[in-house]
Amino acid sequence: MYQFNFHKADNLSTAVELFNAFDEPMYIAGGHTLIPTMKQRLSAPSDVIDLAKIPDLDAITLAGDTLQIGAMATHAKVAASSLVQGHCSALATLAEGIGDRQVRHRGTIGGSLANNDPAADYPAAVLGLGAQIVTDRRTITADTFFKAMFETTLEPDEIIQTIHFPQVDQAVYLKFPNPASRYAMVGVMLTRTAGEARIAITGAAASVFRAAAFEEALTADFSLPAIDAVTLPAETLNADMHASAEYRAHLCKVLIKRGVNALSS
Amino acid sequence: MELKQQLVIPRAVEAVWQALNDPEMLQHSLPGCQHFEQTGDNAYDMTVSAKIGPVKATFNGAIALQNLNPPFSYEISGEGKGGVAGFAKGGAKVSLKAVTESGEPATQLSYSVEAAVGGKIAQVGGRLIQGAARKMAQDFFTQFVRRLCDDETIELVIETIETP
Repeated sequence: MYQFNFHKADNLSTAVELFNAFDEPMYIAGGHTLIPTMKQRLSAPSDVIDLAKIPDLDAITLAGDTLQIGAMATHAKVAASSLVQGHCSALATLAEGIGDRQVRHRGTIGGSLANNDPAADYPAAVLGLGAQIVTDRRTITADTFFKAMFETTLEPDEIIQTIHFPQVDQAVYLKFPNPASRYAMVGVMLTRTAGEARIAITGAAASVFRAAAFEEALTADFSLPAIDAVTLPAETLNADMHASAEYRAHLCKVLIKRGVNALSS
Repeated sequence: MELKQQLVIPRAVEAVWQALNDPEMLQHSLPGCQHFEQTGDNAYDMTVSAKIGPVKATFNGAIALQNLNPPFSYEISGEGKGGVAGFAKGGAKVSLKAVTESGEPATQLSYSVEAAVGGKIAQVGGRLIQGAARKMAQDFFTQFVRRLCDDETIELVIETIETP
């Protein structure tokens, strides 16, 4: 690791001020992507600004029908929260399945979203549940938040504050993890609200995306035969040593079918 | 890593060929290109800084254009070293075909890329390389076509050709 300066911010505006005062600054949340990258010397920020000491940034609250999760809430905290389990158990299950125990106790929902790793789980939750991302300066809907691999609509100095999850009627998250890294080879978040199906897929392409053809078919008729003829084109999907693009396309459909089964029973 | 894609550029083949051989055009289209210098006939040195998520690496490298068949095809080959991050090596075959689009002469550009990366960047980023390559191709050609057509609003559609 190269030498860097470490700063602790005690509120959001100080953090932004610090960020704009340095040449190559980086915010750090749980640090489970940043620290390994810095250790490998693949990233060398001049100044690291820690968000951990900003009060209440990890709070989980319920405001009417909306579940509000603070950006610094760890995966373990989300998984164990009775508010999350009551509002949307699929979200708690998703958090419980991220990485290993160490990752779950350090990694945060805000860090995961801002990083937008193509195989991370939370992007599928946020997009599939139609959440809103509240930052220190605006509110961004899930459909416009994720831009491309590791790219979001966040400004370089912008900080996620909370994520607002609306109430959905039904939701299920199905993940086919890479056995070594526990990252999603494919992860599918399938939700239903007033009959409307919404499907977000992570791990399969360069960035999380919605499976529009499947959504349409399942909104018209929520059953397995309705999606028999629907397929996902493999051309834009990821291929690596673990799985070809065709395999991933097939896996997406298998997981969607399992999701339909789970929500129908 | 292999990538085969094609796109249609609303300019005649000769104009596209000329732009593909214009160092300044290439330099400005290449994302993260800090330095681009001609070192000989169809040979260039360059410095490119690539940022993929948390990883940031600066590559110094050389590229050469070979098998020139103006104005229809050429091959690019090159390699670069990214210091502690690792190295990258690869080549691309580029070919142009005259087509018409809405009655105007246009060019169908197809390319196939073969690339290999090694070192730390391959160890940590192996699963990301194809996505990164697609994104760089998209960024490069979007800039290239926007500059060529002098129109900043063009949204480029690149089609991935299935490998047989």
